[in-house]
Amino acid sequence: MVNPTTPDDAQRAALAGLLARVALGDRNAFASLYEATKSTLFAVVMRVAGDRAQAEDVLQDVYVNVWRGARTYDAARNNPMAWLVSVARYRAIDHARQRQHAVITVSAFRSTGHGDGGDDDVNVLDTMPSALPGPAELHEQANDAQTLIRCMKALTPEQRQAISLAYYQGCSHSEIASHLAQPLGSVKSWVRRGLMALQRCMGVPVSTAGGT
Amino acid sequence: MDYSKPNLANQLAADYALGTMRGAARRRMESLMTAHPVLRRAVARWEDQLAGLSAHGASREAMQPSPQVWQGVEQRLFGQPSAAAQKSMHAKGSWWQSILLWRTWSAVASVGALALLLTLGQTSRDGASGAGGPPVIVVLQANPEVVNVAGAVQASFVASVSADGKALVLKPLGDVTMTAGRALELWAVPAQGAPKSLGLVRADAPTTLLRAQFLQGTAALAVSVEPAGGSPTGAPTGPVVSVGKVSI
Repeated sequence: MVNPTTPDDAQRAALAGLLARVALGDRNAFASLYEATKSTLFAVVMRVAGDRAQAEDVLQDVYVNVWRGARTYDAARNNPMAWLVSVARYRAIDHARQRQHAVITVSAFRSTGHGDGGDDDVNVLDTMPSALPGPAELHEQANDAQTLIRCMKALTPEQRQAISLAYYQGCSHSEIASHLAQPLGSVKSWVRRGLMALQRCMGVPVSTAGGT
Repeated sequence: MDYSKPNLANQLAADYALGTMRGAARRRMESLMTAHPVLRRAVARWEDQLAGLSAHGASREAMQPSPQVWQGVEQRLFGQPSAAAQKSMHAKGSWWQSILLWRTWSAVASVGALALLLTLGQTSRDGASGAGGPPVIVVLQANPEVVNVAGAVQASFVASVSADGKALVLKPLGDVTMTAGRALELWAVPAQGAPKSLGLVRADAPTTLLRAQFLQGTAALAVSVEPAGGSPTGAPTGPVVSVGKVSI
């Protein structure tokens, strides 16, 4: 039952409400949803697509997919913003794969050299844009985001780097491997173990968390 | 493989949600998700967990896409963006008039309504329960856009509302097969504001609903697929499989 008690909850309920109306074919709600979320989703696809023209093409696909897929959105299961971000990321990743574009490195992601951590233990997250209040639609995620950031910092540098490359730039395992000049097997293991460590850290019930 | 195993589902979901699952494996995962609720739940959980990274990585000075993006979206989805869309979007109390399906279905619906009046004679009389005047018939056409949507079914209904507006009989047309754990919910869609639930309805037999007033302020009726027990949010959460405009 939707019973907003905080601004975050209200924001979440508002987005869920818009999505429900979009699912019914409400173009007015679709326009409102676009206005409320376009800058966030644009930032998401920009990171993967790299340049503005490509990102705008992808963003158009994203909202076409949102309109068509709104009926599959399940408010009981998914945070609305998380769902929208996922639609955007998945489309951007597919697009990047089609283009086989070269990985564009954000300067924050430095190579760990031979993967020993050591002096190259760069805290990527410290160098990323601040988590200070961003666009209003991101507020709802603030608490979860803080936990996630804390948990990301608890990962090994290799795990953190591999997951960041995959998440922000849409890199595949092999792209991460060539980017970091590391064996594919190591990369896969960093990603898998990193994700599972994240999940444990974020307090997901063990019964549903994966073992190795 | 047994995709209902939580550990396996969790691993696959993590790989999918992060985006490192690629190509054929990714497509396969997408089709598996339609059949395996455990996979769907696991993916949704990972999407929620990882969403915090997006919030963190977001740039402080929000970048705005150019207006061409929205124009392109409208062009692709609705054909003509501009004038007509703008007008109908700003017309008060008429958002539902812009529902694309209705435009394309209205002709079909009118013909259908006439034909169905005959077959529904019996049901309608039951629903009318002694009130004078003819019942109001609403044909809810199957939504062709949900053919490939997870959890969706192709379903058409006919609703007959008694002349006094207090009884509604919703009759499914043809065979509607529901997967276990899902239910159909009927909604009254007002000209303005959020849809109101009229309750769960049966997929295999007519459902009779009694309310103080069904048609007051109702512009359309819609049926969505919801978890067993009905929408947990009070708004439609699942695919809208059938919709029909009320014309009195």
